[in-house]
Amino acid sequence: MTANLQEDKFELVREAIDAEALVRHVRAGQDGAIVTFDGFVRNESHGRKTSYLEYEAYESMALGKMKEIAAQIHEKFAIHRVAIVHRLGRLEIGETSVFIAVSAPHRGAAFDACRFAIDTLKRTVPIWKKEYFADGAVWADGELPPTPPSAKSAS
Amino acid sequence: MPSVMPSIRVKVLFFGRLRELTGLAEEAGELPEGATLAQVFERYAERYPKLAGFRNSMVVSRNQEFAAWDTRVAAGDEIAFLPPVSGG
Repeated sequence: MTANLQEDKFELVREAIDAEALVRHVRAGQDGAIVTFDGFVRNESHGRKTSYLEYEAYESMALGKMKEIAAQIHEKFAIHRVAIVHRLGRLEIGETSVFIAVSAPHRGAAFDACRFAIDTLKRTVPIWKKEYFADGAVWADGELPPTPPSAKSAS
Repeated sequence: MPSVMPSIRVKVLFFGRLRELTGLAEEAGELPEGATLAQVFERYAERYPKLAGFRNSMVVSRNQEFAAWDTRVAAGDEIAFLPPVSGG
């Protein structure tokens, strides 16, 4: 299996994500399955009614980390192509914030790779979400990305 | 002859709540050669005392890779202070 990231797609966009176009992008004759993940804005957070969200990113690093995820899933799973797109800026309830599509000859690899991709994205890609409520705003809790060991112990 | 620590220029970035707290998205910083990322952070924590409380709930990157706090910076580095990530 060869990992060809050139056939994959990674984007940070400020307009609505075109999910159908991404599914078309990963679909090819050699495939038998596509698994997608559609993450969209929920209407509440910890019991508070959400008004809207705002996303920001360290854009160049975020794209680099998205590509690393793609390289990892090509390595771990027998997939064909992957598309990962995250939206930034203000998003309303129900709007898609992240969309991932993975194609593969067989469904198992596509399911596993898609799950791995979204879980890893949420832990390692430098993107932040601020939640706006009727009476204020908070930065979402988030996860601390794993960091390399101390330079002293590194070779 | 006075001994002057040679200094290097780096780019420093803040994101999310750290950007809000400092009011600073990006600036050109001048640092003594051999400074560690922890020392870079301490400089900013002196300037923005509220930053200090976030030291254990953030990570730092050097040239767009997550880095250990004792990593030494080099001229031209891009250093970013990053709160817990919450994309998706």
